[in-house]
Amino acid sequence: MDASLLAWILFLPLASAAACGLLLRRRGTLAAGLSIGTAFAVAGLALRALHGLGDGEVILAQAEIGRLGETALRVGLRLDGHAALMLFVVTFVGAWIHLFSWGYMREDGARGRFFAGLSLFMFAILGIVLADGLLMTFAFWELVGFCSYLLISHYWDTGFAPPAAKKAFIVNRVGDLGFILGIAMCLSTYGTADFGELAAKAAVEPAPALLGFLLLCGFIGKSAQFPLHVWLTDAMAGPTPVSALIHAATMVAAGVFLMARIDFLLAPEVLQLCLWSGAGMAALAGLCALAQTDIKRSLAYSTLAHLGIMGAALGLGPDLGGGLTGAQLALLHMTTHAFFKATLFLGAGSVIHGCHHEQDMLRMGGLARRMPLTFAAFLAATLSNCAVPFLAGWYSKDAILEAAHTSGGAAFALLAVAAVATCLYSARMIRLVFLGEPRAEGAREAHESPWTMTLPLVVLGLGYSVVAGTYLGLPEAAARILPAPMEFHLGAASAVGLVALALGLVALVLYGRSSGDALRDRAPRLHGILERRWMDGLYDGYVAKVQQPAAELVAFLDLALINGLAGKVLAGGVPALLGAASRRLFHAGSVRATAAWFALGALLLIALLMGLL
Amino acid sequence: MDNALLASGTLLDLAVGVPLAAGLLLLLLGRFLGRASLALAGNLAALPALLQLGFLLTEGRLGAPSPVGGFLLEPVGAVLFGMSAVVGAAALHKALRQLADVRLPHAYLGLILILWGGTLGAFASPLTTKAGVIAAYVLHEVALIPTFVLTLHWGGEGRRAAAMQMAIYLTLGAMVGLAGLVLCDFSPGQVGPSAAGLILLGFGALVSLFPFHSWAAPGYSAAPTPVSMIHAGALKKFGLAVLIAFVVGNLGAWSDLLLWLALGNTVLLGVVCLAQRDLKQLVSWSSVAHMGPIFLGLWVADRTGQADGLHAAVLLMAAHGLSAAALFALAHEVRTKAGTYRIDELGGLAARTPVLAACFIAATMASIGLPGFGNFWGEFGIFLALRDQALWVQVAAASTVVVSAVYMLRAVAAVFHGPLNPELAARRDEGDIGWTDRLGPLALLAASLAIGCLPFLVTRLLRP
Repeated sequence: MDASLLAWILFLPLASAAACGLLLRRRGTLAAGLSIGTAFAVAGLALRALHGLGDGEVILAQAEIGRLGETALRVGLRLDGHAALMLFVVTFVGAWIHLFSWGYMREDGARGRFFAGLSLFMFAILGIVLADGLLMTFAFWELVGFCSYLLISHYWDTGFAPPAAKKAFIVNRVGDLGFILGIAMCLSTYGTADFGELAAKAAVEPAPALLGFLLLCGFIGKSAQFPLHVWLTDAMAGPTPVSALIHAATMVAAGVFLMARIDFLLAPEVLQLCLWSGAGMAALAGLCALAQTDIKRSLAYSTLAHLGIMGAALGLGPDLGGGLTGAQLALLHMTTHAFFKATLFLGAGSVIHGCHHEQDMLRMGGLARRMPLTFAAFLAATLSNCAVPFLAGWYSKDAILEAAHTSGGAAFALLAVAAVATCLYSARMIRLVFLGEPRAEGAREAHESPWTMTLPLVVLGLGYSVVAGTYLGLPEAAARILPAPMEFHLGAASAVGLVALALGLVALVLYGRSSGDALRDRAPRLHGILERRWMDGLYDGYVAKVQQPAAELVAFLDLALINGLAGKVLAGGVPALLGAASRRLFHAGSVRATAAWFALGALLLIALLMGLL
Repeated sequence: MDNALLASGTLLDLAVGVPLAAGLLLLLLGRFLGRASLALAGNLAALPALLQLGFLLTEGRLGAPSPVGGFLLEPVGAVLFGMSAVVGAAALHKALRQLADVRLPHAYLGLILILWGGTLGAFASPLTTKAGVIAAYVLHEVALIPTFVLTLHWGGEGRRAAAMQMAIYLTLGAMVGLAGLVLCDFSPGQVGPSAAGLILLGFGALVSLFPFHSWAAPGYSAAPTPVSMIHAGALKKFGLAVLIAFVVGNLGAWSDLLLWLALGNTVLLGVVCLAQRDLKQLVSWSSVAHMGPIFLGLWVADRTGQADGLHAAVLLMAAHGLSAAALFALAHEVRTKAGTYRIDELGGLAARTPVLAACFIAATMASIGLPGFGNFWGEFGIFLALRDQALWVQVAAASTVVVSAVYMLRAVAAVFHGPLNPELAARRDEGDIGWTDRLGPLALLAASLAIGCLPFLVTRLLRP
């Protein structure tokens, strides 16, 4: 296959972004058309590239763009098995979400900016997917963070979007601080940051634990893992297609993708950390989703939980028997999650659009009849999310639970809690949003969304939650991703899954009996604990009570000690030494006098220097 | 275009000589000229420097010594010369836009031309020969004098104290540095410990090395915007060029001191930025704090003897010049549109000035090292060059990626985002910035994008 195809895949979205942002800022329809067209063209090219990629084949293309000392700055593209899977997810899900945005953003006044942002995001994320080493990954990693900032702050004139955008950017940068140090350590330890060379060298000389930990920081920030998870729920302030594409399907998954790519650099200690923090995150976030009334926020907690599951899968390590690795399982779950979570967000978007921008689930209800297509897709994705057997989500989640049971120890219990929580919040969501009677005017007047919104829902939801599930059971598909096709066998994992589903059905009934939120009515204390955002409070407290006063103090000390004392000595002493002339100089106020004094000084100086020659 | 003519060095003479001569002429005779003629003179004076920049970019080599002035572009000087050409042209453009509003417009323009010409000359003088070093030093002083005068007479709030403080610090710094240069007889090969110390502290003060930075933020805040652009963006880098020529490789026992002082710039002054409530002050302080990573690049180059930290530092010097100048120009536009620099009196300005907001966000992103802009490879390259140093040094250095994002994004949110501030709403809507006012900042950002996406434009000059 021709490597230039990869360049087209990467740079077409950049061209589209430039055109939309610079030329079509006021021509929303044209910008939308261009951006959507590009997204589908890129998806087509990506399919072609994937089709042409042989088993185990690696395609490389590199161009040097500069050299700092002996460090070459390179744009390098690499397409291998890992990248192929992610490339498919990003371009395919991305294209359909672009189409969805056509309908969703139809009345938005700043579509040029919005679609420029989406296209730029596609460029950035494709850069991560196709990067051949850590340097290029990091450059695009930062760019992805910027796109996220840009798109979260789309509604910049509100009080909530700008702080959320800022928070997302800064929290990501905290993670990137560790990532930068990790890349530096990679160069220091192995003398290269190229994936291929790193893999070869790490096989001979295992990476120190610190290196893996530092690289993990990048993952913790980008994939919103504990304790840097606080930005993801706020990021829902952006338009819903952005939440679907960036904050559910692709960007947050990029952390998982990167870790899977460099899993050979993760020492056992790092993997243990990953396993425990991931499993803990999965359980906690799943439970927190139960206490949210905002549909997008509840889905955001669900995303956090699934990212935790992926982190835990990664932490299971490189040897799960039969050639299976934790990274493969994480990637598999990333793929299925991308499809069903994108569908859930787009479904939420369709609901929000139908209910005239209502996001409170307690003010919805009875939408199944009013929005049947949305309901069907949402339901299929929900069932996949709950890991109902033979749907896509089941294959990946069941496999992770099974592997955790055999080799993860007590982390399995946390993942089991997460599985149960998933079924509970999913049942609650279906019940509150789609079943029963409408509880507010918006829901009563709701109508099905236009085809540009329902078609992506149907394709992503029905197609990929149901059809992809069957596909994953096929041997030839498994050969690409997994060592063996997934099979159903009754073990601890499926037992947990069945219990969770049963509890979900119970929740469906219980939430139906309550007019408001069943949990809040019956266990207000527990609800309060789950609803409260503990870490956010901690960080806000740190910023207000520690960081800002410390900054004020340092600024004051600088002013008083360095500027005040030293300045006084200099400013008072030197003119005194030079006599009254200099003092007159600074108070004279005449341009000519000042200039003359300085010119005289300069002439003296020049004469002095000439003497030195 | 005849490249042979360009390569002969005559153009370099013109690039430095024309702004200086034009500036002097305007000072002496400019009062007889109308505003249109002043503008024409200003525009013409910028041409040779821009042509020379085009030559540097397209040819990727340094060219011959100039026949009259003995100027010669050396690797570091060439990069800084090119950057100064862009920054100076943007500043000149800004100054020409102000002519209607300033008193004594001919003197204002003349002094800015001298400031620019001196800056270009300082970077075009070779630091490898004694005569070259002396010429560079003198031209630097030639550029400093208008800086003080312009600040004193055309500056904003607090200009007297600021100009005085600036004059004292910079003159003393230059004198201490000169003492060091004399001590080593202007020859990098003869730099002993005491010469290295004098040059480090003297020229360090010119670059606002901690704790000799007190002049910088008040000075830049008080100075007229074109002066802040040229000084903070371009002229200040002269101190660094001298440090690269004389001190890197000769630091010896001063190494630890430079490390601590550089971290002072990076960490302490980064924290000071968090406490700023005035947009221009913030831009000024951040420009001072951003010197920290550059000093660290020099420090590590001296320590390891490898070029990667040095090249990254030079790239960052160029990129910082562009982004700092863009931020100063755009902050000035904010003041023009909203009547204030005070951050708490601003808010939601993007509703009225979407293009200004977009430009400011782009300049902010450049300044905090977003990939695509030159600052990214500069900062990142320095962090990578620090790879074999103690982990705490690396953490302290890289902390700037978080801290700078915090204070700059906070300012963006407070100035442009959110609902329109009621006080602003009561003010007359001045509209967005027009094409003429966009030109300067856009040119600066485009230049930063160019060296960020194609860093070889800079790095190939450093590896002749």
